[in-house]
Amino acid sequence: MPRLARLFLLALMLSLAAAPGARAGEIKRITVEGELIDTWCYVTEIMYARGSAHFQCAVWCAVGGIPVSIRADDGTLYVVLRVEDDSRNVSNPAMIRIQSHRVTVDGDLIERDGVKYLLVTQVADDQGIVDLTHVKYGIQPWGM
Amino acid sequence: MRWLRSLALLPVLLVWAAAPASAAQKWGIDGEMVAQFEAKVVDLLCELRGDCPAACGGGKRQLGLVRDDGTLLLAVKSNTLFAGAALDLLPYCGQRVEVDGLIISHPAMVIYMLQRLRKPGATDWVRATAFAEDWKQRNDAEDAKRWFRRDDKANEVIRTFGKVGRPDIMPPPAE
Repeated sequence: MPRLARLFLLALMLSLAAAPGARAGEIKRITVEGELIDTWCYVTEIMYARGSAHFQCAVWCAVGGIPVSIRADDGTLYVVLRVEDDSRNVSNPAMIRIQSHRVTVDGDLIERDGVKYLLVTQVADDQGIVDLTHVKYGIQPWGM
Repeated sequence: MRWLRSLALLPVLLVWAAAPASAAQKWGIDGEMVAQFEAKVVDLLCELRGDCPAACGGGKRQLGLVRDDGTLLLAVKSNTLFAGAALDLLPYCGQRVEVDGLIISHPAMVIYMLQRLRKPGATDWVRATAFAEDWKQRNDAEDAKRWFRRDDKANEVIRTFGKVGRPDIMPPPAE
């Protein structure tokens, strides 16, 4: 996306955020199917950050305490704040082990200021890593 | 007429001059914007759901920044490679802090990269490298260089599942 368009988007999101309706609203129960991703690498696009190519880096980032998100198939990102009864969302050992997995989860969605936060109530399915992107992109970020 | 045009720009220049001078380093990321401001540090689950453990969870909870207009900003990254900002913000749990870093806007969300912080009114900035300091202590190490290659927890997972996360797939060696 062009830089100008992104700045416009940021201004729009911030102005919407300033509106009263942008505060945490109602909680919606949803089902999400998608891939567990490292929020930093994916959002900044500093490297290819999906699938097997990014597994090792995603593990490092999760250990380092960077928030983990689920990228749904339509590109929507959900920041995972809780998994069932476990509210340790920094360097959570269980989350570290399933980086880059394709999962289906049920959870409570809270939206605030342009970010979708997800409190997972149940992991319904874990297919493991199915997107074998390393074939095309190698191992991110340094190839080893 | 030129002086009139300059006059029209005066309000913009005054606002710009009044804004704190950020020393944040740009990364060349699409949608990045240097951003120095004061905010209140909050535990995200506490802010969003009222689930509020003592001391913002003691480093086990993601923290955010509530700006003066009420906007909640997700603090995603610190100045340490591959590390988040929770430990940097933790000492300011429930308090105001002045931060300097990058706001990064993406079609999916807006995030904050914390580069340095200080108590409001303080003179000296502190670099956002608390994870590295904590890692050194936990691992009795002299430094945290390439901590991610030396971390027991990360290495155990990568040994178990391989570098591409599939023990049944051996990637070709790097060229």
